[in-house]
Amino acid sequence: MTIAEKNPQNCLSDWNGIMERDIQQEGEAQKVNVCDPPSESNPPAETLVTTFCLLGNHMFADTVEQKEARGTAVKKGGEENVDQSHCAANEQILDVEPHCNQAKKLETENSEDQNNASTNPADSECEDAAMDNDQSDSGEFVVTMLAKAKLEEQGIGLKGRSSPLLEAGTQESHGFMSHRDEDVMADSWRQHRKHVFVLSEAGKPIYSRYGSEEALSSTMGVMMALVSFVQSGDNIIRSVYSEEHIVVFLQKGPLVLVCVSSSRQSEEQLRAELLYVYYQIISMLTQASISRIFEHKKNYDLRRLLAGSEKILDGLLNLVDSDPSFLLAAVHCLPLASSLRESLSQTLQKAITPNLVFSILIAKNQLLTIVQEKTVIEDTRLEPADVHLLLNLIGASSAFQAGEIWTPICLPLFNPDCYFYAYISYLDPPECTVCLLLLSTDKEAFYAVADCKRKIEEAMVAQNSLSLIAKAQSYSVSQVGVSDLRHFMYKPFDVPDNYRQLTQFTSPEMEAPYSSEDEKMRLLDLYRFMHSRIHSTSRPLKLIYHVAERETLLAWVTSKFELYTCFSPLVTKACAITAITKLLRWIKKEEDRLFIRYPPKYSTTPNPSKSSRGSKSDQQDTTDNGFLSLL
Amino acid sequence: MSTRKASLTDKQTKNGTSKYVLERCASVNEYYDIAFKVMLLGDSAVGKTCILVRFKDGAFLGGNFIATVGIDFRNKVVDVDNLKVKLQIWDTAGQERFRSVTHAYYRDAQALLLLYDITNKPSFENIRAWLTETHEYAQKDVVIMLLGNKSDMAAERVVKTEEGEKLAKEYGVPFMETSAKTGVNVELAFLAIAKELKHRATEQPNEPKFQIHDYIESQKHKSGCCGLK
Repeated sequence: MTIAEKNPQNCLSDWNGIMERDIQQEGEAQKVNVCDPPSESNPPAETLVTTFCLLGNHMFADTVEQKEARGTAVKKGGEENVDQSHCAANEQILDVEPHCNQAKKLETENSEDQNNASTNPADSECEDAAMDNDQSDSGEFVVTMLAKAKLEEQGIGLKGRSSPLLEAGTQESHGFMSHRDEDVMADSWRQHRKHVFVLSEAGKPIYSRYGSEEALSSTMGVMMALVSFVQSGDNIIRSVYSEEHIVVFLQKGPLVLVCVSSSRQSEEQLRAELLYVYYQIISMLTQASISRIFEHKKNYDLRRLLAGSEKILDGLLNLVDSDPSFLLAAVHCLPLASSLRESLSQTLQKAITPNLVFSILIAKNQLLTIVQEKTVIEDTRLEPADVHLLLNLIGASSAFQAGEIWTPICLPLFNPDCYFYAYISYLDPPECTVCLLLLSTDKEAFYAVADCKRKIEEAMVAQNSLSLIAKAQSYSVSQVGVSDLRHFMYKPFDVPDNYRQLTQFTSPEMEAPYSSEDEKMRLLDLYRFMHSRIHSTSRPLKLIYHVAERETLLAWVTSKFELYTCFSPLVTKACAITAITKLLRWIKKEEDRLFIRYPPKYSTTPNPSKSSRGSKSDQQDTTDNGFLSLL
Repeated sequence: MSTRKASLTDKQTKNGTSKYVLERCASVNEYYDIAFKVMLLGDSAVGKTCILVRFKDGAFLGGNFIATVGIDFRNKVVDVDNLKVKLQIWDTAGQERFRSVTHAYYRDAQALLLLYDITNKPSFENIRAWLTETHEYAQKDVVIMLLGNKSDMAAERVVKTEEGEKLAKEYGVPFMETSAKTGVNVELAFLAIAKELKHRATEQPNEPKFQIHDYIESQKHKSGCCGLK
């Protein structure tokens, strides 16, 4: 412990220097196996060892310190990647197997490689060079930011003109933020199952899930030291494995995201979660403005811009832990009679205005329907991750739900560099379960969009839709009529039509024995484990029959679907297979109700025709323009 | 929920009862004679949303700071000299990342309530910058009022009442200290704004001009003890 307290400052203050010397000495070391226990005086050649220990000392409990140092293995990108991920995978399997040694296992090796296709939507993100949108908001925004930063740097008071509103990020600190106040030296802090840190390349703290960023600045400095050290050898640090924890690194532009997890999730899953965190930050600031800010001022404190948004990130991380939609990279929609869903879609389609591109109806935090402007749907679609971010924004920000909210928001997978303007309003105050979300490309369109809401509201009153929606609810697994089946998650790949559709999944309520929070989490952990086996990069599987202590799980992936099922512990293999056949038949029968099957017609017709003409053709022109100007 | 209902009944005026109910139940068809747009401005965490919730629902959002996202548009109908005045209130986010969206709606506002936190010096010092901004983006004849919020937190006060008064005088805007927690002066602030806007809109040439300063001075103490009870 003493090391952790004494050394970080030294280490931080001149780690740059040390690094340089160090590179020459340690040179091209690709694989680091730390064997020496930490000692009080470390020669520079052992900097990496020291940094590990420092991180270890802070993050992990003292008692396991030594074991950990020994068991630590660093994974990096580059040539050795494949080889190492193999080792790691094996390690993990070994880790897990003793846990269920009474378990019978049936694993089918996967010969084709199709499994991985759906998992990492993230990496498909296009890294276009930042387009020059000086006229756009992010541009103008960055300019003001930098101007301000400069003034402050020179110590010039900000009494002058042109919106020099000094925003002290610290103002927030006397709000009541339970997690922020945590003592980062306490054991309870280390006990957290999953830590997430965000820092800038200069090592400045941006976000920590638990504890205040200031208190953690030395820890984050150590993390940055690790990243830079590996980077200096033309390599990328990906993860550090210890017995109890995995440390996963993700570098995106000028941001470094780090997850320290003691959950048994795979590295890939944790990295996907970090990516969600990154996307949420992008959704608030845009990628273009973040890179621009750091281009101009490497040591900018991004917390100034994220002040007040910690709740959104906190909310996201809680959702990621408790909602399987993130794991499956698919959205969950509320089961609804297809006729009702269709009539809702039509209501949305009728209430349109220029530059309105998405109309989304949400009930009980699940999707009811999405309508897209035609010019938008043709070349792209809304990605599940973007929908997740929108749902999280709604959940995290509208604690007092009476008003109509208008806010800029970026959909990172749609376009990471520009803003949409989101109109958020509940249709059923004071209950506030049915939420309307309208996305426009026009900052000034509030009144026009609010008018659309009024039209939608009126139509819904006329059709009595609200009371029908209120009756809609998630279903019970007992409706499937398969005994022994306790829960399942089903994600189809076969979209019914030729256009790309929003990836969805369906799942019943979690019922007894999974009604308590702990039990829910336990089931989700089992699903996460199954998911990691199915999507393992080194040894992907197609079918897993896993007998756990208190239940039996079966996961199955085909070219048509991905299915996770949970059975009572006494089920037999044959029984489970029959049950799954029945389940698939039931889903087929119910799919019109369970999924958004037929996206709104107006966005799919090849040429703008028939219904609601007049304004429609104008609208497409303007939307088109609106779009081009944004891009 | 019950506190909200109770407070609504508290606030009923002779003929206002049904209107409040109407507003809550059928916001589509709410009834009013005249509507004005009011905007709440000020640094992050000075209590803009709390002031609004206190005024609108008579409740206090204590214990948990939740930053407003973008701008939040809400309505409240008040009675001014037997006229139903609908205040359309923009609650804005104090964070600078939302500034561009806030600017876009300055010019629609007929009145601006400018808030600072009496326990937070920088929020007071920024008022000048806020005023500069309002001159730049808002209408020329916009009604501005300066509010020093959190007046209940006497122990942590760092901005004296006199300082607020002095600044207000310098810019010729009315001023008062409010508390969203106890309700002191909250209703008065909005009512004064509503009266001023209503007088401006319905001004008769021979009618004496409404004096917002005088009105506030005459009402301040009365309202203060009402709010405290």
